[in-house]
Amino acid sequence: MSDYLRTERLTLGYGDTVAVRDLDMSVAKGEFLALLGPSGCGKTTTMRAVAGLLAPRGGKIWLDGVDITRLAANRRQIGLVFQSYALFPHLSVFENVAFGLRLKGLGGAALDRKVAEGLTTVGLESFAGRKIPELSGGQQQRVALARSMVMQPKLLMLDEPLSNLDARLRLEMRAQLQRVQKETGVTMIFVTHDQGEALAMADRIVVMRAGQIEQVGTPEQIYNAPASPFVADFVGFETILEVEGGRLKTAGGPVSLAGLDASVAALAWRPDGVRLGEGPFSGVVRGVSFAGATRQYLLETRLGPIKVEASAALMPRALGEIVAFDLPLETAAKVGTG
Amino acid sequence: MFEKRAEAFVLIAPAALFSLAVFVAPVLALLSEGFHFEGHWSLQPLSAFFASSLNQAVFWRTLKIAALVTAAAAGLGYLAAQAIVDIKGGGKGRMVAMVVLPLMVSPVARTYAWIVILGRTGIVNRALIFVGLTDEPLRILFSETAIFIGLLQLLLPLMILSLIGALENLPRDAVAAARVLGANDLQIFVKIILPLTREGFAVGGTLVFAGSMTAYITPAVLGGAKVLMLETLLYQRVSIANDLVSAGVIASLLIVMSFAANLVMRRIAKARTA
Amino acid sequence: MRVALGLVLLFLIGPFAVIVAASLSAGETLAFPPQGLSLRWVEKVFEVESFRASFVLSLTLAIGATSAALALGVPAAYALARYKVPFAEILRLIVASPLLVPGIVVGLALLRYLVVPLRFPIVLALFLAHTALILPYALRVVSASLANLRPEIEEAAVLLGASRAGAFFRVVAPNIRDGVLAAMVLGFVTSFNQVPVSLFLSGPGVETLPIDMLGYLEITYDPSVAALSTLLAALSLAIVLIAERFLGLTRYV
Repeated sequence: MSDYLRTERLTLGYGDTVAVRDLDMSVAKGEFLALLGPSGCGKTTTMRAVAGLLAPRGGKIWLDGVDITRLAANRRQIGLVFQSYALFPHLSVFENVAFGLRLKGLGGAALDRKVAEGLTTVGLESFAGRKIPELSGGQQQRVALARSMVMQPKLLMLDEPLSNLDARLRLEMRAQLQRVQKETGVTMIFVTHDQGEALAMADRIVVMRAGQIEQVGTPEQIYNAPASPFVADFVGFETILEVEGGRLKTAGGPVSLAGLDASVAALAWRPDGVRLGEGPFSGVVRGVSFAGATRQYLLETRLGPIKVEASAALMPRALGEIVAFDLPLETAAKVGTG
Repeated sequence: MFEKRAEAFVLIAPAALFSLAVFVAPVLALLSEGFHFEGHWSLQPLSAFFASSLNQAVFWRTLKIAALVTAAAAGLGYLAAQAIVDIKGGGKGRMVAMVVLPLMVSPVARTYAWIVILGRTGIVNRALIFVGLTDEPLRILFSETAIFIGLLQLLLPLMILSLIGALENLPRDAVAAARVLGANDLQIFVKIILPLTREGFAVGGTLVFAGSMTAYITPAVLGGAKVLMLETLLYQRVSIANDLVSAGVIASLLIVMSFAANLVMRRIAKARTA
Repeated sequence: MRVALGLVLLFLIGPFAVIVAASLSAGETLAFPPQGLSLRWVEKVFEVESFRASFVLSLTLAIGATSAALALGVPAAYALARYKVPFAEILRLIVASPLLVPGIVVGLALLRYLVVPLRFPIVLALFLAHTALILPYALRVVSASLANLRPEIEEAAVLLGASRAGAFFRVVAPNIRDGVLAAMVLGFVTSFNQVPVSLFLSGPGVETLPIDMLGYLEITYDPSVAALSTLLAALSLAIVLIAERFLGLTRYV
């Protein structure tokens, strides 16, 4: 059901500030959803409100057809993996995972079995007797995950699950989270500021800014058709130029581009979409950095600063060199179409 | 989850109300006694208090001794704390324990030890006579000197502990850097260590100063009825003459001086962060 | 530097050596060095009736006041650590104020405004006074413990199905246990050795041990007080050493 979780005009705040205003959002059962946005956009606040840790100022929250807006946090059957993992330091790995189950009255062999299953799912079968301080960051996170998952929650939320991990671990955990989600079919929401993660893992992405939703869509939709310059910028488009009166608005004045669709709000190019070496525009190389397979250039141009990425196999350009470049329509994303 | 103010109120009310009722209210009432004259608010008792030369002497003596003890504690404290901080390995814990020990022992015991040591037949006098520095036992007890010594022993650990904390948090390389630039020990102390350990010094200083002013047993036992400090004066006025007005005045003076010392010390700590 | 430390330590600890030695003296007066060694004064301590009574009073008072201070202080520390309490700083100051006021003033104030007009029994007044004195320590030490424990742990427990109270007892309490024990030790020792507050709040038959010792010394100058002091010192020492061994007490001081 596409409205497994639904928020209706959700308004949240702390003290005098309003963090989220009239938020309408829905999540389908079994979906892997990302809440993406910069710090302060209200994504974590929303997550906490859904979990029941923050009382809404206005609006409603529905889960599986039930209005849970006033329901106590310990009765919502929602799991949450905190960014800091929030493991219980005085308990062993086993007891951490068993915590919620014991509260439900489970004990003995049934408990042992469930805990063992939970630990196996996250690949920590042999860690049951360990103490929390002995674990690495990645292991702690997996314990936190198992702890929530053994409760078989209706909804599992993760707050910035990968930001504390180093690069390699991050990739491993990405894969693991996706696998766990597909295997168990649990509805998962994860909150992140990293667009790469969101694009890689989620079925659908909700992009938030200043307490409002900027765009909702699949990763492809967000990547190829960002709804606003903000979203475009956030997902990695470096060159975003608004369209006004059929022409591109640039720092150096309006620029015409053949074949421009005037109904679009803006056009956006990624650094690798800018063609270096030939074209109607020119700029001075102000920065060069080598990134293995590619080279990144920062050009000072009449249109404003432009970032270009070119294959490292091509002849390198030097600082101060004047180069020609093009902003081809084919590689541009149309921002703000329907 | 921690939004309901009502919950916080219920949790903190007992302690707050208890403190207010059992402590704050009675003490404020006592203090106000020192400012009432013939039924209305007045500074008369205060000026009457200072009109007496005995009272004045006691007041200045209290301040003087407190200041001296604080200064001595600072000097010895830095030396001892630095020596402790420099110790490598497990010995440090034991040293700290030895410093903290006196704080845990009954003040009665502490003070009486001094009676034994400083008395006419005590070790100090016997040593002095033995060495030939004097022919007759000196009267050390029941003097300001005795009070000074007793208070110093009582309060020095507080200063040492505060300074240990501050010295341990010194940026490790600061002293080494200064030495490389050619500073000698005194310069290092004045220009690097003192400023950077301001806060610890302020905390320790306040504790020692306030402690000296508000000590009772030590001045009572080592000073006797002749060498009074403000607190022993207070006790005397109340137990002998039931003079609650004086008690109120003295109590107010003591509290104000404690607070003032606190503020001055905080100012020293915060001034000119390096 | 080392020499200075040695002298300082001698200064701080020397007097205790004197007391210990004096208590083992075979002679008649409190003197050092002692004339001969004997345990007779240590024995005498246990025989003096008033010492026994006042010891029991001091002990009961210390245990009772420490418990009461914790019962008041732990919830208060929790509230201040987790909630946005209005006037939090002022409340902290109010609770901590006993540390800034001379003990004798406290004793007198309580005598004059609680005991006399309200006819409080002296023991009750002593109990209230000692509790008020220990409360600041309890609050400070428990607050320090709580500061190191993230609130998210309780939130996690609640989300796993615990009630608020359940979360506190299952997750917060075990982690502040060491802090609470440290506060208990501090409180106990503070109450037991407390003199100024108890000075005015004593009466016939109601004397804390230190007051009793002071009184005794005004009459007789024999080494039994030294012996008692030694025993008490040993007791305090034992408590603190055990606490240090099991808790690392110095972390909290």
